[in-house]
Amino acid sequence: MAAIFTGAPPNSGPGYSFTQTPAPTSASEPRQHAFYPYTDNGGSTLGISSSTFTILAGDTRSTSGYNINTRYAPKLFHIDSADPSSRLVLSVVGFAADGEALAERLDTVVKMYRYQHGKTISVGAAAQRLSHVLYGKRFFPYYVHAILGGLDEEGKGALYSYDPVGSYEREQCRAAGAAASLIMPFLDNQVNYKNQYMAGSGVGHELQQRDPRPLERKEVEELVRDAFTSAVERHIEVGDGLQMMVITKEGVEEVYRELKKD
Amino acid sequence: MSSPFSINGGACVAMTGKDCVAIACDLRLGLQALTISNNFPKIFSYSPSVYLGLTGLATDVSTVADLFRYKVNMYRLREERQIAPRTFANLVSSSLYERRFGPYFVSPVVAGIDDGGKPFICGFDSIGCIDFAKDFIVSGTASDQLLGLGPEDLFETISQALLNAVDRDALSGWGAHVYIIEKDKVTKRLLKGRQD
Amino acid sequence: MILKNFQAHGPSPAQADRRALRQLPSASTSYQTTTQLHHRIYSLVHPIYTHQTAEVLLGITGKDFTIIAASKAAMRGATILKATDDKTRELNQHNLMAFSGEAGDTSISQNTSKPTSASTQCATRPPSPAAVSSFVRSELSRALRSRRPYTVNLLLGGYDTITDTPALYWIDYLAALAKVPYAAHGYAQYYCLSILDKHHHPDIGFERGMELLRMCTDELKRRLPVDFKGVTVKVVTKEGIREVEYVDDKPVKSA
Repeated sequence: MAAIFTGAPPNSGPGYSFTQTPAPTSASEPRQHAFYPYTDNGGSTLGISSSTFTILAGDTRSTSGYNINTRYAPKLFHIDSADPSSRLVLSVVGFAADGEALAERLDTVVKMYRYQHGKTISVGAAAQRLSHVLYGKRFFPYYVHAILGGLDEEGKGALYSYDPVGSYEREQCRAAGAAASLIMPFLDNQVNYKNQYMAGSGVGHELQQRDPRPLERKEVEELVRDAFTSAVERHIEVGDGLQMMVITKEGVEEVYRELKKD
Repeated sequence: MSSPFSINGGACVAMTGKDCVAIACDLRLGLQALTISNNFPKIFSYSPSVYLGLTGLATDVSTVADLFRYKVNMYRLREERQIAPRTFANLVSSSLYERRFGPYFVSPVVAGIDDGGKPFICGFDSIGCIDFAKDFIVSGTASDQLLGLGPEDLFETISQALLNAVDRDALSGWGAHVYIIEKDKVTKRLLKGRQD
Repeated sequence: MILKNFQAHGPSPAQADRRALRQLPSASTSYQTTTQLHHRIYSLVHPIYTHQTAEVLLGITGKDFTIIAASKAAMRGATILKATDDKTRELNQHNLMAFSGEAGDTSISQNTSKPTSASTQCATRPPSPAAVSSFVRSELSRALRSRRPYTVNLLLGGYDTITDTPALYWIDYLAALAKVPYAAHGYAQYYCLSILDKHHHPDIGFERGMELLRMCTDELKRRLPVDFKGVTVKVVTKEGIREVEYVDDKPVKSA
């Protein structure tokens, strides 16, 4: 019971920056100090790509343990927004300070590319560079799960997801962060139509998987909202606001909606 | 990983609908990452309209299931009537709490229809604290993944919720059993699911 | 108090365990979550949750038989004490138990063989494989929460003479019971289950069953780092239990 009032972070995962997770110790034992450089700031992100656009979204709550640091800490970053033809958005969830540092690193990298080559970087190249940036800190990683969204050379939506040390993959959809395990099966089912079959296609091995199709923007926005309103109900680290970035050939459009603040 | 709750794996979910309830479980029995059996159901019946789902340590799943079979049989002999879901839920609760300091490592889920034809579902922690719910209850190693899907058509919803959840949990899966319980009809369906 | 020991498990777990065990009655007030308490208590009772041994137990069912194979080496740590050990016991005419685990604990076979043999039963016929498996499981699960649990893994091979079907039950030392078409215990699981997944079929005849067993024991000889001294093979059929001559002194080609 007392744990609720100490503001101690959940026992799994990283704790505060400068102390180990406060654990009940008796006075007779020597106090142990350790520098732990990571904090889990909670929150969740998700990305869905379609034929002509990509949508990235993240909640705006920042937590440490049971405390809320702020109700508005964006996890989405428009990369090289000074360039009118930039279509890159990075979302980061995990340790917020590392997330912002990573976004700045990528922003610089993308700018330098533009200055040196006189053209905007392709999303594929940016994706690979981001992987290298993450792997460059292989032994002191950015403690984040990154998702990079953009438009590829054919104008199709592109989405790349990363682990903290730069392993990456292009996907149709991905959820990351605290509520990833809640959201991901929902996305499997509603975006890639997993476990859905064509009616009347037979039984057993005759069953035909319902073919995934490119989703409309309105549908995707609705999925994103449903995913987050549901995650808010069942995860205490998710809430407050929903920040969405819609990447189309027209540009990057930012949408903000309120989420429950409890 | 070596928590007794996640040695053998497993998933269970119950949902309410209009004048009906559904309860479903996966079929896997594992030892950590190794699958021992792909036909280990985790739902047990204690009267025509009372069902119990048990996930957790497999030995305790069997022990607890058998214990309640004994207790409910004794109840039926004494009372000369079937046990009601709410009564059964309280039996589960008090029986688990008896083992407060050496618990059975199970997460039970009860689903049924009461005498008035009203749907009843609830869940428990391993020492018997009841979680009464109006909509749905989940338990097992895939319980995180099971949350977040809203109810529509009950069978389709519970099946899709379970299948998509166990596909994202390495310790659960290998098909499923789904029971749809109505006032005087129970439909049991066996889902094949992914075999990997 | 108990939680502190749990987190600072470090240098001497055994010492911490003993101390924690003494303090157990006071545990109720100082744990943080029930899960942690469960975990703690459980780690006291079972230092290893899932142990694997190089002792081999194999079981294969088919159309009208159950084959049980058990390694002949009796091991104590790294030493082989005996090369002609028989890890099986006939519980009654149609039920065969194979066991592996801590040496003394295999007495479970003695403790369960009497009640399951026909002579001591009030009923007119010996108990079916289902009844035997249920009884053995209940013994094992009762022991699990006693002062000293059995640490044995079991296979029960049987033949149900009423329904004319073979049966095989997998039981581990936690008393988890599963009825299976084929099974293994110890490291043999990792080598043999995949072979049986690929080649086993419920309708196979005895000859094919022995072929599958040969594939399994060959693989074990190839892959297991210790010599398990071959296997004793017994088969349960409608006629009862018989031992099968099993030639396993031929060298196996390495992969």
